[in-house]
Amino acid sequence: MSSILECNGLTKNFGNKTALSDFNLNIESGRIIGLLGPNGSGKTTLIKLVNNLLTPTSGEIRVAGMKPGVETKKIISYLPEKTYLNDWMRVHQIIELFTDFYEDFKPERAYDMLKRLNIDANDSLKTMSKGTKEKVQLILVMSREAKLYLLDEPIGGVDPAARDYILSTIISNYKEDATIVISTHLITDIEKVLDHVIFINNGKLVLSSSVDEIRDENGKSVDALFREVFRC
Amino acid sequence: MLSKLLKYEIKATVRIFLPLYVVLLVIAAINKGISALSPNGVKVPEVISTIIYGMILVGIFVMTLVVMIQRFYKNLLSDEGYLSFTLPTKTWKHIVSKLLIAMMWTVASGIIAIASIIIVAYDKIFANGIQSALFDPIEKYFSDYGITGVIFILEALLAMVICLASSILLVYASIAIGHLFNRHRILLSLGAFMALSTVSQIIFAIAGIAFGKALQTDYFGINNNFSLDPTAHITMWCGIIFFGLLSAGYFAITNYILSRRLNLE
Repeated sequence: MSSILECNGLTKNFGNKTALSDFNLNIESGRIIGLLGPNGSGKTTLIKLVNNLLTPTSGEIRVAGMKPGVETKKIISYLPEKTYLNDWMRVHQIIELFTDFYEDFKPERAYDMLKRLNIDANDSLKTMSKGTKEKVQLILVMSREAKLYLLDEPIGGVDPAARDYILSTIISNYKEDATIVISTHLITDIEKVLDHVIFINNGKLVLSSSVDEIRDENGKSVDALFREVFRC
Repeated sequence: MLSKLLKYEIKATVRIFLPLYVVLLVIAAINKGISALSPNGVKVPEVISTIIYGMILVGIFVMTLVVMIQRFYKNLLSDEGYLSFTLPTKTWKHIVSKLLIAMMWTVASGIIAIASIIIVAYDKIFANGIQSALFDPIEKYFSDYGITGVIFILEALLAMVICLASSILLVYASIAIGHLFNRHRILLSLGAFMALSTVSQIIFAIAGIAFGKALQTDYFGINNNFSLDPTAHITMWCGIIFFGLLSAGYFAITNYILSRRLNLE
């Protein structure tokens, strides 16, 4: 298996605050990975760095062997924790935008999911609730056939019923060779879908292990281990 | 990719400008109708409609400026930037698409404003001898200078376009410089704007004086005399080159910051 994401000595400071310090990571492709850590541990910073939305203070990032740029943006499908939708488009117009810019975007898949979640493609993004906007964003992101999905808190703002549908959507929509990184602190909800977990705290890697190993070696669930590692 | 970005940039802005232009032209026509119909002595409706017309006319130019800033800041450096900067396209294409469309709307606003003034005042233009006062010098200009006159006008238009580009890029560069800081980004953008414009004005003044000396004549005198000997062309081209270099500088600053120093909040 080849490496899809590699971080070497990655450091990011904001003023005198350190968000990530000397972070090293190597993720192989074809897995579903949980990026887990308490609030402010550096999860979002890491994902934004990989997306080139932040400039590293030092260290380097490689996505499928490439530096972040146009070529890596083609293969990364990113769900930010913020709403990036503008307020003047309708749902079908943003789908057209994605179709225009991403070669791997499958509009029919997006329309399918919209129907399933009862979202009208003619609705204006402006009048949508926050939760509905999050669903639309997730649909857009999961309708691509990307190599690397980076999902930052994908289920944080939606109701538990939609959560199940979204998780099953994530699982059913991805191809064997693709990699999904899900950042969250709602571990119990996603534990069952994860192959691998990464624990991160205070900008440092605490643990990187497969879920099977955790269960075999510690005899614990990921949630229990998380509570133990990050006990306050 | 650039053509797609241009397409979406037009889509995002046309919904603002088109209705404004229609409103301006309609109000201009209504204003014309009211002043033509109102009996002598009754001035109130005419005054009110003229005030409304004037406000919308000013409003269009304010909107042109606001949209220019807002499209750059909101679409690239606020939450929408999360989408813009993850599209698989080079950063300079974002800047160029926003610049070209902002220039297009500035020119369009100017043309629509002139059209509305003609609607409001066409009988005054074509009567009272103002017509000859307006058009005779133009006729004389072309008969006196012929083809060189036409070339000079084209040069002047090019200079205006480059000057417009440099003003917009100055705003972009200022916003980008403000973005370098973790806090007080808007305040620091204003500071950057004042610093950049002051520096470029100083350079302009020095270059102008040096240029005037080089020609062994008073640089500013050429402008005032408006003579069409070769120095007029040289002056115009020096202006074009100066503002071209300025634009390139502002563009380089903006592109460097957005592609190498991006830190979206």
